[in-house]
Amino acid sequence: MTWIISILNIFTNPLFYKITLTAATPFIFAALGGVFSEITGVVNIALEGIMLLGAFVSIVFTYLTGSPWIGVLMAMISGLGMAWLHAWASIKWYGNQIVSGTALILLAQGLTGFLMEPIFGKPGQTDFIGRIKDIKIPFVKNIPFVGEIIGELNPLVFIAIGLVFFSWWFLYKTTMGLRMRAVGENPEAADTLGINVYKIRYFGVLMSGILASLGGAFLSVGELGQFKELMTGGRGFIALAAMILGNWNPIGAFWACLLFGAAEAMNNQLQSSPILQISASTKPLFNMLPFIVTIIVVSGFIGRTRAPAADGVPYIKD
Amino acid sequence: MKRFLVFLVLILTFVVSAYAFKVIMVTDTGGLGDKSFNDGTWAGIQMAVEEFGLEANVIQSYEQADYIPNLTKAAQEADVVFAVGFMMTDALFKVAPQFPGTYFVGIDITPPEGSEYPNVMTFTFKENEAAFLVGYVAAAMTKSNIVGFIGGIPIPPVERFRYGFEAGVKTYSELHDKDVQILKGYTMVFDDPKKGKDLAMSQFAEGADIIFHASGACGNGVIEAAKEKFTALAGTSDLAGLIDYYWKNGTGLFAMGVDADQDYLAPGAVLASAMKRVDMAAYYGVRDAFEGTFEGGMKVLGLKEKGVGISPMKYTKGLVPNSVIAELYYIINLVNEGILSIPITQEELDSFSVPEIEFPF
Repeated sequence: MTWIISILNIFTNPLFYKITLTAATPFIFAALGGVFSEITGVVNIALEGIMLLGAFVSIVFTYLTGSPWIGVLMAMISGLGMAWLHAWASIKWYGNQIVSGTALILLAQGLTGFLMEPIFGKPGQTDFIGRIKDIKIPFVKNIPFVGEIIGELNPLVFIAIGLVFFSWWFLYKTTMGLRMRAVGENPEAADTLGINVYKIRYFGVLMSGILASLGGAFLSVGELGQFKELMTGGRGFIALAAMILGNWNPIGAFWACLLFGAAEAMNNQLQSSPILQISASTKPLFNMLPFIVTIIVVSGFIGRTRAPAADGVPYIKD
Repeated sequence: MKRFLVFLVLILTFVVSAYAFKVIMVTDTGGLGDKSFNDGTWAGIQMAVEEFGLEANVIQSYEQADYIPNLTKAAQEADVVFAVGFMMTDALFKVAPQFPGTYFVGIDITPPEGSEYPNVMTFTFKENEAAFLVGYVAAAMTKSNIVGFIGGIPIPPVERFRYGFEAGVKTYSELHDKDVQILKGYTMVFDDPKKGKDLAMSQFAEGADIIFHASGACGNGVIEAAKEKFTALAGTSDLAGLIDYYWKNGTGLFAMGVDADQDYLAPGAVLASAMKRVDMAAYYGVRDAFEGTFEGGMKVLGLKEKGVGISPMKYTKGLVPNSVIAELYYIINLVNEGILSIPITQEELDSFSVPEIEFPF
């Protein structure tokens, strides 16, 4: 009975929804990045590495300039650079996209670790450098339930949600989006119609770099104000899972990200519940919740999602 | 003649360097800069180096596979070799028996059954005693009568922190008739600050106003959460503003640090830290080897040996009532004299009953 009460309590607690949102935000950015890249037919598992480098670069430039927004901007540029490497290897040189992505993850891990010492004078982690202030929306903040969820949030969370709808509009309502999808489904056909497959794919991959690096920047200058080596902790891969679960559609990926965020928030709330009498030795088990949810949901959806037909296949023009 | 002099100097330096007492520390994968074990050990070695005029070096390990080669290399060159961290246990006990002429010091390492060597000294800590003190302060300072504990992975040192913390809270509560509840949670990782922050936010929302963490780098997120919440409450993030707010309103939101003195990470929002004096252990190790009093075996450092303790509360001492500080020092004395023993296992915690402590003031 206490279980039901505490779960009901959690669902009626606005903080549950707020943590869901902030936990989902890095997934949302990275999953959108994945959508942009894969919808044109380029698999981008480098998301994890792009996020990590984005987290690092944003902190470095916040440290150097004092402004976290310049940090975010530079993170986007670093993401662009990483994505360009991926595009160059996998589009121009028809490289294996998985290998190139893996190499970029390793590159980001090595590079951030190596640069810690010369920039911050010590490896491992930085001190608290500074972060983007949460914004308060005065009239929303006073609405009882909703106000506690979205009345005071990090601006990057709003940007993430805005980007979800923008991406959907862009991919499904514009000519460019149509071309991107065409290239991902059947590059030969698109090519005969006069679409420059390489340029479209470059665009998709570069966009994915910018978006994923925002996810990394959210973790460092958005939430914590410091960088820690390997702080992305596999979120890039979870974002890939969200993208697949969302059927390569920005809105679908958004719901999938919220689901993973909610599982994480539920884990935290259940552990913190004052009325559930659980011994401390069983509490670590709650951390499996997000993974259990992933397995159940993903297995339930197997066969119902479909990747772009040319996803992961380099296009070689005869 | 000149050539002969140069030759002489060269010979001399060789001879001296061959006979200089040399310490080499092999880090675990955390490496220098972790603000915990590796940095602490290195600081202790430096202390000994300055006192006795020795030579010291570091070999950095980048992955677990480096431990054995690095320890071997260090053992070939040095008189004292340091192995830092629980994860190096196996490597240390593989390498050490091959170099009986070299001293080995392991930090936070428990020798496996039946492997005791005269040239290996290992240190572990009574984390529970340090955590008892911060638990006592937390229970004294909480206004909502709810405090939080956030652990990383429940490995023995983390759990010892929890036992001590719970016992400390319980002791204050019973001595002062206060009903303090503890929320407990685990992140199951040590290096994901965002997870620590989310969990801390949940505990704050459930009413906790002081959260103690023993979760490595996840704790950065816990401290950031406390800073963010307290700043939002007080409307300012500078130390003076936070202290003013506390005095005006009598409430605040705090984190409590672990391992090192983490109070400086967010001045005013970290109430105190449960410190593990790894540096003292390292210092003792080098000193004993240098002075020839080295004894193999496991040493457990507690309050009495100054191996653990509570941070000096540089920023927040003014917030803690003098009576609480006085009681704290009285309790430290009781522990040192062996009158008060602090639970170090779950069983001891379950059967822990608060002793009748009569404060002489």
